[in-house]
Amino acid sequence: MLFPTLDFGLFFLPVLLLVWTVGQASNEWRKIILLLASWIFYGAWDWRFVLLLIASAALNWGCAQAIQRRLDDGRSAQPWLGLGVAANLAILGFFKYFGFFIDQLAPLLVKAGWGRDLPLIEVILPVGISFFTFQGMSYLIDIARRQTAPATFLDTTLLMSFFPHLVAGPIVRASHLVPQFARVPKLTRGMVATALILICWGLFKKTVIASELATGLVDKAFFDPTAQSGLDLLAGAYGYAVQIYCDFSAYSDMAVGLAALLGYRFPRNFLSPYRSGSLQEFWRRWHISLSSWLRDYLYISLGGNRGGVWFICRNLMITMLLGGFWHGAKWTFLIWGALHGGVLAIERLWREWRPAGLPALPRPLAILIIFHIVVAGWIFFRADTLDGALAFFTQLWAFRPGVALASPLLCGLIAFGLAIHFTPPALLPALGRRVAAWPAPLLGLATGLAILIVDAMRFEGVAAFIYYQF
Amino acid sequence: MADAFESPVDVAADERGLSGLGQMAIVIIVAVVTLALLNAHALAAWADTLEPGARSARIGDAAHALADRTAARGFDGPRATLHDQWNRAKAARWSGQSRPDQAPAE
Repeated sequence: MLFPTLDFGLFFLPVLLLVWTVGQASNEWRKIILLLASWIFYGAWDWRFVLLLIASAALNWGCAQAIQRRLDDGRSAQPWLGLGVAANLAILGFFKYFGFFIDQLAPLLVKAGWGRDLPLIEVILPVGISFFTFQGMSYLIDIARRQTAPATFLDTTLLMSFFPHLVAGPIVRASHLVPQFARVPKLTRGMVATALILICWGLFKKTVIASELATGLVDKAFFDPTAQSGLDLLAGAYGYAVQIYCDFSAYSDMAVGLAALLGYRFPRNFLSPYRSGSLQEFWRRWHISLSSWLRDYLYISLGGNRGGVWFICRNLMITMLLGGFWHGAKWTFLIWGALHGGVLAIERLWREWRPAGLPALPRPLAILIIFHIVVAGWIFFRADTLDGALAFFTQLWAFRPGVALASPLLCGLIAFGLAIHFTPPALLPALGRRVAAWPAPLLGLATGLAILIVDAMRFEGVAAFIYYQF
Repeated sequence: MADAFESPVDVAADERGLSGLGQMAIVIIVAVVTLALLNAHALAAWADTLEPGARSARIGDAAHALADRTAARGFDGPRATLHDQWNRAKAARWSGQSRPDQAPAE
């Protein structure tokens, strides 16, 4: 069930009605309604995965209780923490990486004469598994670090299953969401207005910009780069940068907006990432819930900044390589992670050893350089194979003349998708405040017309969000 | 042990008058009615995708009846006009640009 569909709208409106009627009288019933709705939402993909989700929640709830008991007794939480993290990683590893490792081992096993013993299991990847397993791990680590208290079984299950963030984040931490489950939330006019703006804006970014760029330009450019001109490939690379931003940030915007209409606050996940003057800044603006997760639970666990400059560079590299591997078991993701880790390490070394008195790069130039490094990374990220990525770069370098794919509209969408990064950060709250003051019927009419305009411009059908595959 | 964190929906607006819940209820009702009148064909198209059966046939009949009635009064005009304009913008090409299914112009 995809957010920008009528199916989802017909699912969400009854849930909203139940939550604010039955759920208004009893907070426990409110949470039970939300939990059942989340399972229906997830079960629309495959009912078997709902069982996996429940098992994962039960596992994390049990480990959390055991960790807290040991902490209360003054003993180390390590055994249960290790077990819980290992179990989450085992779930993730089996569903996400089993096929990759079998593929890598196959030539060796065939050479050793064991080819016929290769397992013939085709593992189906449950949607959003990377998100809910990471959420489970951070929950256990936070309890072991005494940063959050164990939640009830209902709250833990709802934390992991809550449908607005279930399949593509943001990765909402227990310390952010569980305290909000303690009582029936209060809905303010500011929340409603901002939520509606985010939902309409997300619909536009996903169904108009991202879908149009994907079908008209990016998919064709990456399908066979050897058949495309240099300008089309350049537009395809820029187009993918805009597509992935508009696709993923649209999901986050809609998730934040939908959760807000249900009364819950989610953290910000994107903050104009392409206006970054360094790669470190980029990671403070892009997929903030994942980058802060990697920082708090991986980078810091590896030692973080507590060491010499080479130690820090090593930690940056390991963190980004694993961040790449989190996206999927493909060499292209590993290279994407290595590129980001390498440039982050170079930035760190440069900060350490930069000659005194050397003037800093003008910010517009720094933004331009960082943007192109990010785009180069996206080419690996988007390509289906390593050969495909290398062919893209080779053809781009050859720069065959002509233009076939990059139409005026698609170029305009790329320019628009980049220009929105340079709007003032205070624009959304200012708009939210203004719209909240409108009479409710006028706001309803504006919402209906906004959805109508998006529907008139949208591409026929809706493709799944890019991050559903992770 | 709640963490303080920033959410995009933390907007301090004037909360006098209608409550947030009341505002949301009216907004949804008005938006649904607006879309039912101006975009009924989307509902009909959705009904056509349902698995065949007695219930989906009833839903389909109702959705198509609404789409026909709103179209007869010209309510589907604004969406159709916008859709045509958008398709025209999509079809536009730079001067000398080949179509996507042709080889790039040298």
